[in-house]
Amino acid sequence: MTEIETVPPAERTRGEGIAARVLRIALTERIVLLAVLLVVVVVWFRVLGAGGYLVAPYDLRYLGNALESMVPFALLAIAELFVIVSGRGGIDLSVGAIVSLAGMVFGFMVGVWEWPLLPSIVGCIVVGALLGAVNGALVAYLRFPALIATLATYYAYSSLALISNANAPISTPPVVALHSLTRNIQLPLLPPIPTHVFTIMIPCVVLAWVVVSRSTYGRALYAVGTNDVAAEYATQPVARTRFTAFVISGLLSGVVAVVTVAQFASARPDAGIVGNGMALPAITVAVLGGVAIQGGIGRVGGVVVAALLITWLNAGMLLAFPEGAEGSRYQLLALGLVLVLSALLNTFALRRYGRLA
Amino acid sequence: MTTTTEAVTAPARRRPRVRAIEGQELALIAVVGALWVVLSIVTDTFLTTGNLQNILFTVAPIALIGIGMTAVIVTAGIDVSVGSQAAVVMVIVALLARDAGLPFLPTVAVAVVIGLVLGAINGLLVAFGGIHPIIVTFGTLNIYRFVALQIFGNEQVAGVPATLAPIGGGAEGRILGVPTAWWITLVLAAAMWCYMRYWATGRHLYAVGGDPFAARLAGVRVRRRQISAYVLTGACVGLAACILIGSGGLVQQNVGTGLELRVIAAVVIGGTSIIGGRGTVLGTLLGALLVGTVSSAVTLLSWPSELTQLFIGLFILVAVGVDLLRERRRSAR
Amino acid sequence: MAGDVLLRLRGVQKRYGGVRALRGVDLDVLAGEVHALVGENGAGKSTLIKIVSGAEVADEGTVELEGTPLAGGSTQAAMAAGIATVYQEPHLFGELTVAENVFLGRELRTGGRVDWATQRTRVTELLSRIGLDPAIGDVRVADLPVAEQQLVSIAKAFAHSAKILILDEPSAILTDREIEVLFGVVRNLRAAGVGIIYISHRLDELSQISDRVTVLRDGEVVATKPTSELTVRQVAELMVGHELSSATVDRPTPTGETVLTVSGLGRTGAFSGLDLTVRKGEVVALYGLIGSGTGAIARALYGITPADEGTIRIDGEEVRLSSPQDAAAAGIAMLPGNRKQQGVFANKSIAFNISSAHLRHLAKLGFWFDRRRERSIAEDFLRRIAIKAPDVGTAVGALSGGNQQKVVLARQLVRAPRVLVLEEPTQGVDVGAKEEIHRLVLELADGGSAVLVISTDLPEVLQLADRVLVVRKGQVVREFARGASQAEVLAAAAGDEGEAVA
Repeated sequence: MTEIETVPPAERTRGEGIAARVLRIALTERIVLLAVLLVVVVVWFRVLGAGGYLVAPYDLRYLGNALESMVPFALLAIAELFVIVSGRGGIDLSVGAIVSLAGMVFGFMVGVWEWPLLPSIVGCIVVGALLGAVNGALVAYLRFPALIATLATYYAYSSLALISNANAPISTPPVVALHSLTRNIQLPLLPPIPTHVFTIMIPCVVLAWVVVSRSTYGRALYAVGTNDVAAEYATQPVARTRFTAFVISGLLSGVVAVVTVAQFASARPDAGIVGNGMALPAITVAVLGGVAIQGGIGRVGGVVVAALLITWLNAGMLLAFPEGAEGSRYQLLALGLVLVLSALLNTFALRRYGRLA
Repeated sequence: MTTTTEAVTAPARRRPRVRAIEGQELALIAVVGALWVVLSIVTDTFLTTGNLQNILFTVAPIALIGIGMTAVIVTAGIDVSVGSQAAVVMVIVALLARDAGLPFLPTVAVAVVIGLVLGAINGLLVAFGGIHPIIVTFGTLNIYRFVALQIFGNEQVAGVPATLAPIGGGAEGRILGVPTAWWITLVLAAAMWCYMRYWATGRHLYAVGGDPFAARLAGVRVRRRQISAYVLTGACVGLAACILIGSGGLVQQNVGTGLELRVIAAVVIGGTSIIGGRGTVLGTLLGALLVGTVSSAVTLLSWPSELTQLFIGLFILVAVGVDLLRERRRSAR
Repeated sequence: MAGDVLLRLRGVQKRYGGVRALRGVDLDVLAGEVHALVGENGAGKSTLIKIVSGAEVADEGTVELEGTPLAGGSTQAAMAAGIATVYQEPHLFGELTVAENVFLGRELRTGGRVDWATQRTRVTELLSRIGLDPAIGDVRVADLPVAEQQLVSIAKAFAHSAKILILDEPSAILTDREIEVLFGVVRNLRAAGVGIIYISHRLDELSQISDRVTVLRDGEVVATKPTSELTVRQVAELMVGHELSSATVDRPTPTGETVLTVSGLGRTGAFSGLDLTVRKGEVVALYGLIGSGTGAIARALYGITPADEGTIRIDGEEVRLSSPQDAAAAGIAMLPGNRKQQGVFANKSIAFNISSAHLRHLAKLGFWFDRRRERSIAEDFLRRIAIKAPDVGTAVGALSGGNQQKVVLARQLVRAPRVLVLEEPTQGVDVGAKEEIHRLVLELADGGSAVLVISTDLPEVLQLADRVLVVRKGQVVREFARGASQAEVLAAAAGDEGEAVA
C-alpha cells in the first residue's frame, strides 16, 4: 500500500506566528468561531438599535424571549448530529414529519382521550422514538441509504399526520392549556425566559452532551461514523449503534413535538412540515455547528452555539426588516448563506489544517 | 522476443451482459401497466382521454426535472434546490409575460437561461467548493427562495397572461391529443437516454459517480461533468417552470415547495442509485409516471389526497429495497 | 538493448508545507528498460510518481519526455504525452463494462459518440494478449471477481501505446501466478522499447524483472545502479541507510498446551475441512496465494463472516463465533489486513484508536467513559512500542503507514489475547517498522499468546512461523516446519508439484 506522503498536520503547526495561530484556532475550533460570530451579531444589532434602525429594542428581554424559537432548532439539530455523526451518509429528513405525527398523537392523548399530562408526554416521546426506530431499522439493519429511507418515511409520516385528524388541528381546551408549559419565567439577574428552555432544552442538551462526549456509546458512535468497517473489527456493534442514533433522533423529535404543541396551544398536522419543514433548518444548524456530513465529526457544544447564533440572528432580522414577510425572507437568505459559507470554511480548514473542530 | 501468456481466467460462464432495458425498468413497466389495467376496470373515469391527458401533463414537470436530476444523482450528487429554482423562474417569467408582454419563445428562452444560471451556481459550488452537494443545495434552496420572494415583493403575481398556453394544460397545449409538455419531456428524455448510454461524456457521468478520484486519474473531466449535470437540471427546471405556469393565471409565493422531494422520489423509484454511478432516464420517466398514476388513482377513488404521499413513501421503500436485495445477491456470489 | 533516454528528471523538488518531500531528484529512464524505484515509506516515491504522472507539479526542476518538457499538473496531458500509470489499487467503475473501463477518458469517438465496434475489437485483442478471457469485454466490472478486476486495471494501462509505463506496486495485489503474467507482459513492453518505472516493496522481485534500480531516501536519490550489481541486502541497506540486523529468528519449538483447535471448519464457496491447532507461544502461518481462501479463514476465526460448518475450540472449549464481539469474548484478537479500510480511524487520535476495541472495559458505571485511563493506556503504548508521534492526541491519519500499523496492533495488545490472528501484518510498511512489528509479534508469542499469521509475503512467513500451513483452493495442502525453503512452500501453494497429503 502506498503512503500518501503529505506532511503530518501536527508538524505544520510548530513555529507559527500569533496571527497564524489565532486563525488556525478560529478555523479548526468551530465553537470559538461561532462564539466570535455570536458576539459580532449581538453587537451589530445593538449598534443598529442604538442608531434607530430597529423597530424595537434588541435588548436582553427581547433576546430572552427569542429563546423560545431556539428550542426546536437546537433539539432537532442535536438529533441530526447523532444521525449524521453515525456516518455512511447518515441524515434524517423525517424529523419534521415525526414532530407532526408524534404531535398529533400527543394532541389526541391530551385533547381527545384526555390522558393526564405526564403519561401523554412520555407517550409522545415514545411514539417519536418508535418512528425513529423505523428509520433506524431501515438504515442500520436493512441498509437503506439514510437519505432515501428518511425521504420515504418523511412522506409516510406526514401523510399519516395529515390523515389522522382529516387535516385539521386539535385544539381542544386541554391542549390549549398546555401553553402554560412554555410561558416565561422570571429568574433573578436574568430577563424573562420561556420555562421550557430550563425544563426541556437544557436537560436535553446536557444529556446529549454526556451521551456524545462522555459515554461509551458516544465513543462507539464516533468510531462507527468515522470508519464502520474498522469499527466492526474493533468489536463495536455497528448496526446497533447506528440504529440507536436514529432512535435518539426520533426521541428528540418527540420532545420537540411536545414543545411545539404547547407553544402553538394546538396540535397541528403540518407543524413540522409546513414550508421547508423543520428538517432543513435543523441540518443547517448542525452543519454550521461543525458536524461534517461525511460522519464521525461534530460536537454538541458547537451545535448549541450555532442554534443560538441563528436564533439571535433571526430575531435581529425581524426587527431590522419589519415590513410584512420581509424579516422571515431575510432569514432564509441568512440561513442559506451561513450554511454554504460554513461548509466552505470546513473545506478550507480541512485542506489547510487537515482537520476541523 | 516472444512471451507466451496463458489465460489466467476461466471463460465467461453465464455472465450478465448489459441490457437495453434493465430489470428494474421492466418491473416498473409491469407495475404501471398493471395499475392502469386495474384502474380502468375499477373506475369509469380513469381510462378517459381527459384523465390520461391530465396525468401526463401533471407528470411532465416532475419527469422533466427528473431528467436532469438523474444525471446529478448518477454523478453521486443531489439537487434539493429545484423547487426554489422553479419559484425564481416562475416569478420572473410571470412578471415578464404580464408586465413586459414577452411572447412565447423569448419567454421560454429567458426561463431556460435563468435555470441555467441557477444550476451553474450549484454546479460551481459543488465542483470547486468541495462541499457535499446536499449541503450546497440546501443552502441555495434557501437563497433562491429568498430571491424569489424578494422579486414577489409582498404579493403574489396575479393575472398572468396565457403566453405559455402552447405548452400548458389546456386544449391548445396538445399535439395529437397528447400534452405538448409530455412530448417535450419524451424528446428530451430520449435524447438524454442516448447521451448517457452512447456518448463518451455521458458515460463519464457514471464514472464520476462511481469514483471521482479514479475518474480524474483516467482523464475524465470530473468538475466539468458535475457542473454540466447541475446546469442541465437548471435548464430542465426552466422548461418545467414554463409548463407549470402554462395557461397563466395566478403564481403564488409558495410555488415549487416540496417539488425537489417529488422529483427525487421519481428518480429513486426509477432505480437510480442515490450513492451514484447507476441509473437511467427511462427509469426516472417510469418512476414519475407511477407517482402520477397513483396520485390520480387516489383522487379518482376519492380517498384523502394526503394518502398519495404515503404511497410515494412506500414505493420508494419497495423500489430501493428490491434494488438492495439484488445488490446483496450479486455480492454474495 | 536499452536505448536513448526517454524520461529525464533534473533537480526535481517538492515541498508540502514545511517538509521537503523531494530534494532535487535526478532520474533517467531509458527506452526498453525496467527501472525499479525503491525506498522506505516517506522516501518520496509516491510524490515522484505523482509528479511524473501529472497529478502534482514540481516546485523546482524539470521533467522531460524525449526532450520535451512536461508542464505537469494534468494527468490527462501526461497520458496524452505517453505516460501511463497503473496504481496499486484498481480504480475501476463497477457499472461500466470492461471495455468502457479500459477506454475511460480516452474513448475512440466518432463525433461525441463512442465507436463501440472498434473499441470491442481492440479490447478483444488486448485481453487475449494479457491472458484474460476476451469475452469479458462487455461484462460489467461489478460482475467480475476481484482478482480479475485487478488484472483489468493492468490491461487498462497497456491499452494505449505508452512510452513510459509506471507500475506502482503492481505485485502487491497479485498472486504469484498473476505476477508471472504481469512480468511476461512487462518484458514484452520492454522489448517494444517502452520505459518502465517499477515500484515495489518486494525487493526479491527486482532481480527477476528490473534492469536498473534507483534507491530513494529522504527525498534524495542515494544510488542508481544496474540490478545485477546489487544484492537484496545491499538495496535494503541503501534504503534504510544503516546495516540491517540479522533477520533470522531462532526460537525454541513451543511445546505448551494447545490453545486454538479448529476442526472441519468450512464456509461455502470459500474454504472447507480446515483443521489446525495453535499452541501456547506458537506462531503458525497460513500461507496461500491471493484467492486461496486464507482471508476468509481469518474472517471466520474473527466472526466477521462466520463459518457454516466445523468447530472452533479455545482451550478445549467450543466457541461459537458469529461476530467479532463473540471472538473478543473468547479471547481472540485480530489485526485486519487492510489498514486503511479495516484498521484505522484516520481523523481520530491515537488514544481513540487504541481504546476503540475496549470501550466496555474502560466504562465506569456501565456507560461513563474513563478518558483518563484511555490516555494512560495509550501513553504506555507510545513508549513501549515506539510509535513515532508527538503525543497520544495526534490524529492517526497524520502518522506514517508503519506507525499507523503499530497503533492498530497496540489495540489488539491492550488485553493480552489468548489467540492473535494477524492478517498481512506488515503490508505496505517500511523495513524498519516491519522489523519492529515482527519483534512485537514474537514477544507476544513468548508471552504466551497463540499467534496465527496470515500472509502472502513468503519471506515474512518463513521468518516468523514455527509451522507454515499452505492453503490452496480453500484447503490446507501442506505443512512445513521451520526451515523450509521458499521454493518448496511456493511450489506447494501454486500447486504445480505432486501433492502430499497434509
